[in-house]
Amino acid sequence: MNLLDQFFVIVAVALISIAMLRNIKVNSIVSTLWYVLMVVMLARMSSVAYNADTITSAFSIELLGFRMYWKFTALSWFFSIITVVSALASSLFMSGDWGKQYRQQGGNYGLLQLALILNVVSMLILLASGDLLSLFIGWEFVSWASFLMMVLMPSKTAKKAAVKYVIYAIVGAMALLAALAMVYASSGSLDFTQITDAFIQMTDNMKFGFVLLFFIGFAIKMGLLPFHLWQAVAYAETPGPGAAFLGAISSRMGLFTILVVIVQFIGLGNLEEMNIALPYLNMKSLLAWIAALTTIIPTYIALQQHDAKRLLAWHGVGQGGYMLLGIMMYDSIGSAGGLMHVLNHASYQAALFLTVVAVVYRTGTSDLNKLGGLVTQMPLTFLVMLIGIIGLAGLPPMNGFVSKWMVYRSLLVNGEPLLFVAAVLGTLGTILSVYKLIHNTFLGQLRVEHQQVREVPWSMMVPMLGLSVIVFITGFMPGLILPWIASIQETIGLPVVTYHLGGIEYAKGGLDMIWVSGILFYGFGVGALIFYFLGGKAKRIHQYDNYAGGHFLSSEVKYHYSNNFYPGLMHLIGNWYRGSFKWMENVIVSALSFVSKLFENMYRSRQPVMLLVLVAVVALFSIYKNYSGAGS
Amino acid sequence: MMKKELKIKSNKTNQQKQKRTNPLANVFDDFIDFCQSKSLFMLHYCTGCGAIELPPAMTSRFDMERLGIQPMVTPRQADILLVTGYVSVKTLKRVILTYEQMQAPKYVIGICSCTVNGGMYWQSYATAKKLNEYMPVDVYIAGCMPRPEAVLEGLNRLKNNIKNDRKEQKGSAWKDYYKNYDYYLGNQQNLFGKEWQTPVDVIAEAKLYGLEGEGTYGENTKKLKMVQHPLLPQEMKL
Repeated sequence: MNLLDQFFVIVAVALISIAMLRNIKVNSIVSTLWYVLMVVMLARMSSVAYNADTITSAFSIELLGFRMYWKFTALSWFFSIITVVSALASSLFMSGDWGKQYRQQGGNYGLLQLALILNVVSMLILLASGDLLSLFIGWEFVSWASFLMMVLMPSKTAKKAAVKYVIYAIVGAMALLAALAMVYASSGSLDFTQITDAFIQMTDNMKFGFVLLFFIGFAIKMGLLPFHLWQAVAYAETPGPGAAFLGAISSRMGLFTILVVIVQFIGLGNLEEMNIALPYLNMKSLLAWIAALTTIIPTYIALQQHDAKRLLAWHGVGQGGYMLLGIMMYDSIGSAGGLMHVLNHASYQAALFLTVVAVVYRTGTSDLNKLGGLVTQMPLTFLVMLIGIIGLAGLPPMNGFVSKWMVYRSLLVNGEPLLFVAAVLGTLGTILSVYKLIHNTFLGQLRVEHQQVREVPWSMMVPMLGLSVIVFITGFMPGLILPWIASIQETIGLPVVTYHLGGIEYAKGGLDMIWVSGILFYGFGVGALIFYFLGGKAKRIHQYDNYAGGHFLSSEVKYHYSNNFYPGLMHLIGNWYRGSFKWMENVIVSALSFVSKLFENMYRSRQPVMLLVLVAVVALFSIYKNYSGAGS
Repeated sequence: MMKKELKIKSNKTNQQKQKRTNPLANVFDDFIDFCQSKSLFMLHYCTGCGAIELPPAMTSRFDMERLGIQPMVTPRQADILLVTGYVSVKTLKRVILTYEQMQAPKYVIGICSCTVNGGMYWQSYATAKKLNEYMPVDVYIAGCMPRPEAVLEGLNRLKNNIKNDRKEQKGSAWKDYYKNYDYYLGNQQNLFGKEWQTPVDVIAEAKLYGLEGEGTYGENTKKLKMVQHPLLPQEMKL
């Protein structure tokens, strides 16, 4: 039994024990411990990540003549560690007082823990897949496990969003199955390497169909344009820490499969040769543009949200675009930035979701129009959110800056000014909306009903602080992560990045975050020195001792403007929000329901039995025809 | 010559104030006064028709900014409170709140005759007649209304007062509000009633600046203590 087998045995035992344990307290402690053990096991397997090794599981299944097996590469390890650490944070967060409150409000805590571990297990199965069949099976597991997580919330919107997700997921799975069938038809095997062979043998038109089928399958999971509509609501309407977990990593499974199938085995070089409109657009630049639009459109939808969870979930969709955009640049720093952004995004997204859940835990609402001024009551949560939004907005010294900088740099170096502008537009929207998030939650006027609010207990505070430490450390010293990225690039055949502890070395201008952060903190230090040691007499005042044109402020006078937060901006860009994708979705839904009504009516108006007989006769006839043809 | 003069002046002020150990301290003091007079942020509380004269005073024709004076939107960052015109009783409450929210050193300029003596409203029951009964006024600019030249002249006088404050003690009217708080508070209470209070704790500020005088406390502050609802600052709670 090698390390991977041991790891999967532990994962399986964890799943069984969490499913079996009925005692809530024991269950929450045990499940957190299992995640810790999984992290330890992954740490023991770290040679995969540092030396680009591969561990193949001894366990395999012979099925219809081919061998289905599982293996761990640097890529699988990277995504696994993110998955397990996010699950650990979520599990720790819900193990204490949050879980107690969840049960009091009628939630099924055991089921939530089970949904979490099921998600983790299915993701690990997917990440470890060694061939297309095991990939497809893992893919289905992940889809249904997320569905279980999404239906835990009793609200109607949650159910609706979950059903919508399942329909999208089935479409994606069918596309993936069709692509698999194409591989099988051409080579009679479902090995990853057969993708390359099958691709080379195809005609040009088939190549487009082949790549698009794979891409649609994966893009739906990742929420890339135009399949972005399902994700945000479905993730936001999930019980607290579950939303943090799903938002952090779940949809990145789509990116993992894109990396394995499209980047590693079809190859970006091959995509570049598939011309759509000579010389402007080829398949690779099409995907890059899809990624760029994914950064812009969902980010600006997030700007309009007034529910904190939905705002974050829409950002989760938008940030996926940066990852794909970086990878599609097909160079060392672009793809390194894209890959790093997976980890960076997971860390700050989980931290941000947990802060919002902490606010909901104390105030009972995540409506940004009904909060405000909580900084005095929940200062540590504020700090975590501050660190998180600095990361999400991509400002130094947090980790979001590093990965976004690499993507920008690569766009500039590769001569893609339009994509660069698109990426910057996305960042602009991100900064605007995260400012809205922290302002409407923590700054401004504290409401009367929130005056007794206190900081959340330590069981919730520890995972939040831990995640924010990760956000800072990986931003301060990206060299801790970059060896893993370099091994991934080596594994999937991308140019390998040159790195050091502070960042990257690059002929056209590298990055050293230790210097960047050092200068930043030096600037803050000089300011703090002047303010705190050279005279600065600060005086704390009450929030009603404030200037509002001379008004005497009281709890009745609201001077915290949160509703319609960017009226000036919306005056300029408001007309661009036309809901075109929603409209398109509705058109497809109506067309399909029209067709189904048509068939239903036909079926009902005639003799149903006769129709059945007719179908059966036709089916039998075609089978007979085929077989007799094959026989002769 | 200049240096000598400066030395003599600083010796004079030395006798008035407590001993300064740093020999350069007085040079610094003069320098600070000079700087203060050159950079003034102004909150214009436009109560009456005198406000009409401010746009020309601020904009390109008379250009107040060449004197180092420009508008500011909040009292926390402002140095000058400009009251332009008559103050009704209702407005005066707001003016006092705004004045108290400003950080020291702070200066008040009353523009138009109305702030001096009520002007054409002197018979009105609803108008406060003399602004300096309610807050210390540094400079009055009389006229109905004063021309922009007069406004600039008044501002220049304020600047000179600030610059020569340590010699002539003209630019520190704001200290009077702390030293004689009881007097001002009494006038305010007469006008607004016994329940009158602002969220600002003036006595605590007087202690902070070291400006408590005999006039700080008195009958009226005792009355205030009886009705005051202090707004304590919000603390960070863990």
